[in-house]
This record gives sequence, structure tokens and C-alpha cells, in this order.
Amino acid sequence: MIQGFLLGLANGTSCLAFCAPIFLPFLLGEGRTVRRNIPLLLQFLAGRLGGYLLFGIAAWQVGRWIQGYASHGLFMGGAYLVLASLLMAYGFTTPKTACAAEGGRQWLSRITARFPSTLPVLLGLLTGLTLCPPFLAAFADASSRASLAGSLAFFFAFFIGTALFFVPLPFTGFLRRFNPVRVVGRLACAITGCFYLYKGLILFYTGFIT
Amino acid sequence: MSDAAISSTQVFPLGKSPGKAILWSLPMLLLSLFMFMGAAGVPKDPLRMIPLLITFALVNVLFFLMIYTGKTDRYRAVFFVTMSVLFVISFMAHFLEARGSMSLSAGEMIKGRTPFCHMVIPMTLIPAALTKTIIFPGSILGPYSIATMFALWIGASLALGRGFCSWGCFFGGLEDGFSRIRRKPLIRKISDRWTYLPYAVLAAVVLLSAVLLSPVYCEWLCPFKTVTEYAQVTSFKTLVQVIIFTSLFAGLVVVLPILTRRRTQCGLFCPMGAFQGFTNKLNPFEIRIDRAVCKDCGKCVRECPTFSLDDAAVSLGGTKLSCMKCGKCVDGCPTGAVHYHVKGTAVPASPSRARMLFIYPAFLFLAVFGGSMIQDGLYRLLLLLTRGTMIQ
Repeated sequence: MIQGFLLGLANGTSCLAFCAPIFLPFLLGEGRTVRRNIPLLLQFLAGRLGGYLLFGIAAWQVGRWIQGYASHGLFMGGAYLVLASLLMAYGFTTPKTACAAEGGRQWLSRITARFPSTLPVLLGLLTGLTLCPPFLAAFADASSRASLAGSLAFFFAFFIGTALFFVPLPFTGFLRRFNPVRVVGRLACAITGCFYLYKGLILFYTGFIT
Repeated sequence: MSDAAISSTQVFPLGKSPGKAILWSLPMLLLSLFMFMGAAGVPKDPLRMIPLLITFALVNVLFFLMIYTGKTDRYRAVFFVTMSVLFVISFMAHFLEARGSMSLSAGEMIKGRTPFCHMVIPMTLIPAALTKTIIFPGSILGPYSIATMFALWIGASLALGRGFCSWGCFFGGLEDGFSRIRRKPLIRKISDRWTYLPYAVLAAVVLLSAVLLSPVYCEWLCPFKTVTEYAQVTSFKTLVQVIIFTSLFAGLVVVLPILTRRRTQCGLFCPMGAFQGFTNKLNPFEIRIDRAVCKDCGKCVRECPTFSLDDAAVSLGGTKLSCMKCGKCVDGCPTGAVHYHVKGTAVPASPSRARMLFIYPAFLFLAVFGGSMIQDGLYRLLLLLTRGTMIQ
């Protein structure tokens, strides 16, 4: 476990760098206070932990299969496409109170109004599934563990090590009084979504033809 | 109150005096003479001499007219649009000469031969601070190099702030030209929400570039790749990239400016422009509106090509951070309430003096920066006409 924690600490800045383009615009877009940003961060981290533990299981049980599949791009491409759709839907829709009379429109507002944790948890889960360099290092290490518990503990410790770097993010709540920051945050989410859409499409296509 | 009614109550006399205008234009004439002919003199080759003389004449005639008529944007735009069109011709010819193609191969990138333009600057700053490297496959010195562009950008930012986008950016002139094709816009109302998009693009590309250690905007979003260079189509990825570049160029630089009469790429998309907006805070020049004279006709809001004026800004007597100091609102204001202003002085404190203090460095920068592009572009066109090829 210590090994996983240290690996997380050593690679935390990279993890933050990979997740910040997705989570930071989301936080700015929500425009909440520092105190109300903390639950959002916890939900995001819970999602990330979920993603990590899923990989912990995968690493132990079907490590080779997943790795081979991921290298083909279908798996990663799919994850990127879902992430891109969420970010774009969040960025390009105007937030307002959900109304039953609106039918299919504002579906994201309706879902998030009913289950407020959905979006941060999903973003966390999908970024947790992203194969960034430190995550690949942890994956390689965990896949060599003999037991499922060992693999999960390794990923949990890795998560704790990286999560420390996310602590300053709720302080972006200080910017909430400046209203344009919310609009910019949401639109930046959408632009980041477009980028992941390209990446997802290319990975998916490459995975499909190989 | 209608524009015509306001025009009849015009309170800002232009005071046209050819003698004064010639005197004011004289320093520009001498400076441009030194710039264009100082070191090597007039070339003997007519294909080189004609472009030089045309550029010299263009600089001085336009500057004289700017002083004589008191109109800024009208004559700035002529030079600005000419510079951008001829820049494209000159750039294409250079790269056809050097590579035989406008497309950029992986080999050229590995050799560090990718030309560096100012659009990359915001993306390079965080990685440069963190890793002490420039995340761009270009060369440090030489033409289109990283050092040259950084030096030009710092100088332009200090002298002009975001005025660089209207007085120096060789891409801006293309959409400036397209935005002037129709006399009246077909699309008038654009939601204010979209004016924040450049800041969002800036935030996204800066963060993603810092993560991926590559200039994300150049790889995925630059509309101007269409008319300069683009990745050689060798895979599905490069095909997608080229489709994106072409679509963004067609949409943001050609179609939307024609339909809206506004610079939509600069005002609604360009991350460098958003970044450059912050340099308006460092720069001593700005556009101010004299509330005592303003009749709230809204003409400046309708005319502003860069979405930098709205009713709230007008009521506060200034422009938004995104103002590019093109001077269109100054030219168009029927009461002369909109004017150039030097920060720290009273409003209105000698608006014509403030205008002169701004347009001298601004036009000189445009002439120095754009003059060589215009000369080379004209030379390539003459080569094409006389020898049937733009390549030397």
C-alpha cells in the first residue's frame, strides 16, 4: 500500500494536470462558494475512486485482456466519447430549473436536479478510467499483484496519494462573484468536450480498423 | 434619434487642413523612407523595385489621408486587409519554394521547421515555466522563429495592447475584409454569451496544452491553417484535422463575417485575442465615450466589429476588455463622443492629440510589420504575371 501511496504522491501533479482541464471548468461553471465546492470535489473524487477500483479489479482479473483491448482504442475511445458528450452537454446547455413540462429538453438539468451528484461522480469515474501516464504505471504495478485485495489496496493507496493534489481546487469558489467566470467555465467544459470527442473518435476508429 | 438627425447636430469639427496634414505626415514619410530604402537603397530589378515603391506610396498616402480626413478605421483597414491577403500569397510562395507543398510533413516538424506564429504564445507559457522548454517544433532564431515572434508580441503588447489584433495580426485582415463585403448585416443579434467563448477556448487550450505538452490549438482548432499550412493527410487523424481547419476557416473567417459584418473569429473564437485583451490593461491607450456628448444612439454598439461595445459599456463611458482599437466606433460616432484616450488624462482631454499619439506608433508598427509582407506578396504576384510562377 505504501508503494501505491508513494506512486500517487510522486505522480499527483500529472494526475491533477490530466483532470484539471475537465474538473476546473466544471467548478467555475457551477459558480459555488468554496464551502459548497468541497462536496463537489468529494463527489468527483468518489467517482475517480470508483474508476480506479474498477481498474484495480480489471488489473487483477483481466489485466492482459483489458490492456490489449485498450491498446486497440475501442475501450478508451468509448470512454472518451461518453466523457465528451457529458462535457459538451454541460457546456452548451443553459442551466435552469428542471420542469416536467419540458419533456426531453434540458435532460441534463433534469437529471442533475434530481440526482445532484450524477455529473461530478460521472466526470470523476470517466477521468478515473483515462489511461494517463501515472495511471498506466499504477496499472502495470497492480496487475502484478497476486490477489484481488492486494490490487484494490494498491489502487486505493494510489488514489489517496493523488487526491491530495486536488485539495486547493475548491478555492476557485472565490471567483464566483465574477459572473462571466461561470459562463467561461461552462463553455470551456464544452471546448474540452470537443477535444475529447476528436480524440475519442480517432481512438475508436483506429481501434475499429485494427 | 436617427443617425441622420444626429449627424446634423455634429459637434466635433474635423478641421481639415492640407498643410497641417502634410506636416503631421512628414515624420512618417521620413521613417518609412528610412525603413524601406535605408540599408540597400532602391533595387535595380524592376520586379523588386515596383513592389517597394507601391508599398512606400501606400503607407504614406494612407497615413496622409488618415490625418487629413480624421478617419482612422477606413484607411487602417485598407492597409490591414492588403497585408493579410499578400501575407497569405507570400507565405504560400515561400513554403512552396522550400518544401514543394503547403502541407507540413512529420519530417519537417522533427527538424523544427514549423513556422511559429503569435497564436501559439499563450499555450507555451505554462509548459515553458514548468519544463523550461517551448512546446513547439519550431526554430528559436530566423524568419518565422519563436524568438522573433515573442519579441514582436511583447513590443506590440506594450505599445498597442489588444490593438495588435487590428494593427498587426496578419490573420485578422482576412475576416476584416470579408466583414466589409455586405453593406448591411443579415444576422444582427448574437447572444452576449458567445462573447465569452474566446476566454473559454483560451482556458481549454492552455490547460490541455499544459497537460499534453503540445500546442493543442495548432493541432486541432486553428482556422488559418487552411491558408498557411496544415498537416500532410496521411491518416484518419490528419484528415479529421484538415476538415476541422477548413470548416472553421469557412465558418468563422468567411461566412459569418459576411453575414454579420463583424470579425467573428477575432471576437468569438480567437484564444490569442482573449489573452491579448489582458494586455489592454498594460497599455496607455484606450477608447472612451464622453457621456456629456453621447446621445445614446447605439451606432457604436451596432458598428463595433469585435463585440467590444454594449449598452452597459457605453453607459460606463468605455469599452470591454476585448477592444481592438480599430477606430470604427470613433469614425462612426455622429457626435464625436467616442474617441481615443490616454489613460490618466481627463475625458475629453484633447481627443485629437490622443488619437495622434496612438495612431503614430500603431500605423508605424503596421507599416513595419506589414510592409515587408506586402512587398513580398506583390513581388510574388509580379513573378506570377511575368514568369507564370510565384516561385523564384
